[in-house]
Amino acid sequence: MTAPVSLSRLNHWFGTYQALDDINLEIAAGEYVTLLGPSGCGKTTLLSVLGGFIAPSEGSVMIGGRDMTRVVPAKRPTTTMFQDYALFPHMSLRENVGFGLRMAGMGRAERDRKAEAQLSLVGLGDDAGKRPHELSGGQRQRVALARALAVEPDVLLLDEPLGALDLKLRRAMQDELKAIQRHVGTTFVHVTHDQEEAMAIADRIVVMNAGRIEDEGTPARIYRQPASLFAADFMGEMNHIPVHVTEHGVETPFGRLQLPAPRRGAATLCLRPEAIGTTDAQITLGPARVRDAAFFGTHIRAHLVPDAAPDLVLIAHLPPVDMPAPDDVLVISAAADTISVFAKEP
Amino acid sequence: MMRLLPWMYLAVAFVFIYLPVATLVLFSFQDGQLPVPPFNGPSLRWYGDVLGDSRLTAALINSVLVALGASLIAVTLGFLAAYGLARHVLPGSALIRALLIAPLTVSYLIVGLGLLIVLTQAGLGLSLVTAGIGHVVINLPLAFAIIFAAMGAQQQNAERAARDLGANEMQVILLVTVPMLAPAIGAAFFLSMTFSWDEFIISFLLTRFDVTLPVEIWSMLRSGLSPRLNAIGSLVFLVSIAVVLTLELFVFRKRRS
Amino acid sequence: MTTTGQRAQGWGFVAPALLWTFAFFIVPFIVMGAMSLATLDGRTLIWGLSFQNYAELAEKRFLWRAIVVSLEITLTVTVVSVVLAYPLAWIIAFNVPKRWQRLALLLAILPFWTSYVVRSYAWLLVLARDGVVNQTMLNLGLIAEPLTLANTRFATVTGFVHFFVMLLTLTIYANLVQLSPNYRRAAQDLGASAFQTFRHVILPLTLPGIVTGAFLTFVLCIGDYVTPQILGGNTELTVPQVIMVQLGRRADFPLAAALAIVLMGIVTVAYLAAARWLRLDRI
Repeated sequence: MTAPVSLSRLNHWFGTYQALDDINLEIAAGEYVTLLGPSGCGKTTLLSVLGGFIAPSEGSVMIGGRDMTRVVPAKRPTTTMFQDYALFPHMSLRENVGFGLRMAGMGRAERDRKAEAQLSLVGLGDDAGKRPHELSGGQRQRVALARALAVEPDVLLLDEPLGALDLKLRRAMQDELKAIQRHVGTTFVHVTHDQEEAMAIADRIVVMNAGRIEDEGTPARIYRQPASLFAADFMGEMNHIPVHVTEHGVETPFGRLQLPAPRRGAATLCLRPEAIGTTDAQITLGPARVRDAAFFGTHIRAHLVPDAAPDLVLIAHLPPVDMPAPDDVLVISAAADTISVFAKEP
Repeated sequence: MMRLLPWMYLAVAFVFIYLPVATLVLFSFQDGQLPVPPFNGPSLRWYGDVLGDSRLTAALINSVLVALGASLIAVTLGFLAAYGLARHVLPGSALIRALLIAPLTVSYLIVGLGLLIVLTQAGLGLSLVTAGIGHVVINLPLAFAIIFAAMGAQQQNAERAARDLGANEMQVILLVTVPMLAPAIGAAFFLSMTFSWDEFIISFLLTRFDVTLPVEIWSMLRSGLSPRLNAIGSLVFLVSIAVVLTLELFVFRKRRS
Repeated sequence: MTTTGQRAQGWGFVAPALLWTFAFFIVPFIVMGAMSLATLDGRTLIWGLSFQNYAELAEKRFLWRAIVVSLEITLTVTVVSVVLAYPLAWIIAFNVPKRWQRLALLLAILPFWTSYVVRSYAWLLVLARDGVVNQTMLNLGLIAEPLTLANTRFATVTGFVHFFVMLLTLTIYANLVQLSPNYRRAAQDLGASAFQTFRHVILPLTLPGIVTGAFLTFVLCIGDYVTPQILGGNTELTVPQVIMVQLGRRADFPLAAALAIVLMGIVTVAYLAAARWLRLDRI
């Protein structure tokens, strides 16, 4: 049970506020896609449009080749796993998971059997008689997943499904979600504001901002070569270095660099903290004075003031071996393929 | 001394609160014509007298019927209105809410008087039905307010999930909304029953031949103090607190655990 | 997202309650307003736009007096009830151990469930000339002659206060326990005495609850017929009693309607006076 989704030229306004701005997106059958962005970026609105809870002002939603733009949620081949799970508190887990099958007119014996099978899939096979309030947060999340999957939807929509869980459990559930998705083969569309979650789980990430799609692609591609400054910043910590693009190349405080660059004029050069190192790389940044450094386990996070640009403070993630002291001087450099340059917004 | 003060206040307050009730119950066992000291007895003659009084038992049955009918209508209408207002965007919904709550801010006497004037002008007779109509007027705002306040985002999300899983509007209401709101609906019904059961002035103004229990007690009162009144008052009290304690012990306690 | 169909469906849900309220509350209310402007010629009713009934209120001393009596009784009851209930709610909330609080509260409001008519009657027994209070005091030698307690304003006020102390204890208690104990701790931590904590922290925080309870007391008290009729005797009448007299003896519906309108006017004024602190949505 899986289907491709095709969104074309979606626009939506809440009053005068434009929540979706010309969204075009193709999702393949069986793909795991995350919609990533800050709150208010339109990702939840887009999910609601997919689920049928909001009819878009303009544009169309095709699921499995059929136009679903104005079809009510009950009649769509989609189910939603809600942020607060929306489990029915007065029903047992079995009744919760079997609810959609009951609505479809399935007899009790068969739907109980199916519901229990679904519960087993998420590791709660022995708890079918319990009520939602007897469960932990992580268990509730699994029931919500089982309930949404029980009706065998073509597309499963997940609205910040892991938002209420603590960090450790969230990481464990990410792996589990991914495994279940591989097992059932359903198309998953997952909304989150956590870029680590998006990277951990998605085949493809769609970065959204102000109702628009800023970038879409594999996690590695978006992290390494983001399509926009917004996407670059949202995917993780980033150093911004003001530069100037001329016909000869990119003029930086560290000299002229030959990099793929946008149109001429003022621009921003983006450099990930972990790209900065003390070992020799293509681009030399020269000596830099350590302002402070902190131990993070996997790396040492240091603030560095390069001699070539004393107004600049660079954040660097250094290998967790030697702890530099304040005022130490390090000679730093960066790899060329980790750098992106974006034109300044006019 | 300062540490004892609160407990002394508590004791005095409880004496004040229980003085009339204790007097009422004690002298319902009076063996004599007057429910005042000295106490002779105990005797159950007034209870026998009261239970054998067909007018009183008829009034009691009338009261139960009016309370049940008025509460069922008030809770049903209140629930539907709350659902409509909480789940649908309606123009002027603030005004509708204010209108539905309005009878709560007006004395029962005025509600009863207004209805009495209309009914007499329209030439319609007074009966238990007209009293019941008045009771719905005063109970509807309460039922609506209680149920409306209970309609939170949690139910709304559950209803959305149910629709997503293929439930139609009727199934959503019966299988999700009503069961989830059962505590609020129950509370509204219970409160409505209590108010209706105890209501005097509207019943007094709007009934004629068949009357409710408070009205019957009122007419007994005209003939002065009597242990009969003590007996019927004690019985009503006993039944009421039995209901309250049962609810407290079995319904509300269970809900909290 | 709201379609016309959904909106129509929403109206469908609201309509029954709205129609009921309209037919049996709004319409009677309008008719009552019209009635207050009608006059009575012998026993025939003459509809019109006369303010004769309202003029009578100012002219006839017993009508004017009823309004004053009602206001005096209601204000006394409201103030006394709040003053007595607050400490009781406080003690239950802060002196009674947690596990006994619910029981204490339940006991404090249990007589609430005596029938309303019977409750006033029970006070009549207590306060009667040969009732419990007089007999006890005579036996203790505190008084030589029985006091006249029943059929007085004192009796009316006592009956009312008994009822409203229970109601207010419940609402004020609910207010007190929902305050975070950290307010008290913080105030005391910053050097406030117990009284200062109460005066500057707890009282302002519970004021909306108190005003709401007091307003409720005012409204229920001023519109009540039963308590003054049973306990107050016939020396002075309240507005509801006068209304009932007009209905019964003289069938003077226009004057009764005018009095009802005045009663509503008083409640409206009280509402406006209290509006700043009222939280009617929290009742």
